[in-house]
Amino acid sequence: MTSPQFRIRPRRIRTVFAIAGVQLRLLFRQRLSVFWVIVAPLLFVFVLGLQFGGGQPPRLAVVNEGNGLVAQRLVDALDADDRLTVIELVGADQLRTDVQRGRADAGLVIPAELDAVVSSGGQATVEYLARPSNPTAADLGVWVRAVISQQATLVRAAQVATGENAGTFRQNLDRTGTVEVPGVTVVADTVGTTPFPDGINPYALMAPSMLLLYVFLTSLTAALRVIETRRRGITRRMYATPTTAGTIVAGEALGRFGIALTQGLIVMAGSALLFGVDWGSPPAAAALLVLFCLVASGVAMLVGAVLRNEGPALGICLGLGLGLGAAGGAMVPLELLGGPARTVASFTPHAWAYQGFTELVRHGGGITDIAPQLGVLAGFAVVLFTLGTRWLRRGIVR
Amino acid sequence: MAEVVLRCEGLRKAYGTVVAIDDLGIEITEGETYGLLGPNGAGKTTAISMIVGILARDAGSVTIDGQPHDVHRTATKRLIGYVPQELALYPDLTGRENLHFFGRLHGLSGRELRRRGDEVLDVVGLSDRAGQRVRTYSGGMSRRLHIGVGLLNRPRLLVLDEPTVGVDPQSRNAILDNVRQLAGQGMAVLYTTHYMEEAERLCDRVGIIDSGRLRAEGTRRDLVTMLDREDEVELLADGDLAAAAQALAELAEVSAVDVREAGLRLLVAEAGPNLPQILATTGRAGVTVRSVQVREPNLESVFLHLTGKALRD
Ligand SMILES: Nc1ncnc2c1ncn2[C@@H]1O[C@H](COP(=O)(O)OP(=O)(O)OP(=O)(O)O)[C@@H](O)[C@H]1O
Ligand SMILES: [Mg+2]
Repeated sequence: MTSPQFRIRPRRIRTVFAIAGVQLRLLFRQRLSVFWVIVAPLLFVFVLGLQFGGGQPPRLAVVNEGNGLVAQRLVDALDADDRLTVIELVGADQLRTDVQRGRADAGLVIPAELDAVVSSGGQATVEYLARPSNPTAADLGVWVRAVISQQATLVRAAQVATGENAGTFRQNLDRTGTVEVPGVTVVADTVGTTPFPDGINPYALMAPSMLLLYVFLTSLTAALRVIETRRRGITRRMYATPTTAGTIVAGEALGRFGIALTQGLIVMAGSALLFGVDWGSPPAAAALLVLFCLVASGVAMLVGAVLRNEGPALGICLGLGLGLGAAGGAMVPLELLGGPARTVASFTPHAWAYQGFTELVRHGGGITDIAPQLGVLAGFAVVLFTLGTRWLRRGIVR
Repeated sequence: MAEVVLRCEGLRKAYGTVVAIDDLGIEITEGETYGLLGPNGAGKTTAISMIVGILARDAGSVTIDGQPHDVHRTATKRLIGYVPQELALYPDLTGRENLHFFGRLHGLSGRELRRRGDEVLDVVGLSDRAGQRVRTYSGGMSRRLHIGVGLLNRPRLLVLDEPTVGVDPQSRNAILDNVRQLAGQGMAVLYTTHYMEEAERLCDRVGIIDSGRLRAEGTRRDLVTMLDREDEVELLADGDLAAAAQALAELAEVSAVDVREAGLRLLVAEAGPNLPQILATTGRAGVTVRSVQVREPNLESVFLHLTGKALRD
């Protein structure tokens, strides 16, 4: 039993879709918006992913404390290996910082006494330094060991020759074309901590952040259309046709939601297809995305209904989009925010959605694991969406 | 008797203490073009907004084709074509897309929508530019499309709020011709303007509005007659002007003669038919007339008479 007011009329639904459809069409009408909506977020996922170690050859920081022949040959041999890039540094402290900050994936300290120890047939130790559970550093470690043992073989050959009195160690080493280190022992050590689990796709680290940032940014900048539509009198003209105020608001709301969802899906699908990002449990990811898009479109409607001129609105929209993104951990990862900033973040929908996506993407969580996040986002969505539609309606029925 | 399409009575709207419209009553019949003439801020847009049903009125009633009408009635909104004062179009959609969008809001769809869109493009002469974005249109072209949107639903009542503002004379003529044609097809047209010439040229009846009140209403002739003002004839002439003036003053139709520096100024009940006699009289007085100018009272004078101010500021 439905009361007459609540009967769904097909004509009304067609009108709602017509109004929403125009909004989506307008989103892609400006040449630049193709860049901002499609290229920019995916580019950021890519660039930020690289920073976390994808794509580039891993960087090995090397400190050569002495200047002996064996040490130099070891550095040259590492440098010649094109699986890795050698960054030569002075001082083990610098190396330690660089590894900690992620400027290098791992570090190698070659002690000053290497040559002396090795040429006298002794056992030398080099120090290998990496962040814990950095998959790149693990690979790097294997390669470094391989190069060192190769060099060691050559040094041993030179030593054997010297033992047979067939010239000096140096001459013999030159003759072999390389160094030998009779069992250089590699001592591995770790510095710093990592918030990210083992073996994660580096692009997956920033993809959720970019999704949140861009869904809000795109929704808010597209909210300028709401203002334009009103300022140009298009809304009033729509109201002069046989279209109720409720239908107009529903169309606008659906359009706003469609824009947010389109942006979200572009980041999700794009990062999955291009960079192999796994968004985790599909129903959970969909629920998070839909709720976050409802929040974003609610804010967009509210801003669009309250502000009167596009000029100042643009500044406010960009400020809100970037500001909420930054505060909510969508720019600097939430994990790296300190105590007070963390508290501020919990007032943004971004932080909740970020936590939700982190759970899905990094820890393989399901819908029940993110129930609290979904609940908070639903709360945000209900409040903002209601305010947005109310306010918009008030602008129509005067 | 032609049927009454729009009837409004006692319309009133106040914005705070500003009474924008007070006790406005208008009736427009099929095929009739009614012009609402008034200066900036007279209340034309406010009146139209209440009539169209996008602004709630404080008092009064509106019926369209005999059916009660207000902001919530979609049934009567179906009968109205509305062309607002500001260009209400999406600049980033093409002309055709704009028409299709508003057509959908009027309940058109599919082939019917496309056909009606093309018909309207043809009427407003934009078929060849229909696929281009409105942003690239000239001011006149945008105005024509803007009017086209108001025609999509084949309205019974077409309401145009200053449709020729900011349009070059050529486009303006095209727009006026369009409106006249539409009225010829039986549409009732409500047209606001602050251009007196437009109201005179286009409208069967004119309502003069100022400060929210309808001051007078009727055909152009009615209004001018009401003014009870004579035509003004100005002669540029050489010779014995004083003698000519004396002779002219004796003519029954001439109520006053002024001698000016380079000629004469006369007030005549009806200038047209009496001009030959006036010229003959001046000729007999030995005066050579170099030029004649006749000024009939117009709506501008009516307006000045009624409100004590000029129509345009
Ligand atoms: N939304 C509003 N709030 C307050 N006052 C208003 C509003 N709209 C109109 N007015 C006032 O009502 C009066 C009539 O305005 P209206 O726009 O109807 O005039 P108009 O005849 O259409 O003028 P124009 O030729 O400039 O378009 C003006 O004094 C105007 O300032
Ligand atoms: Mg106006």
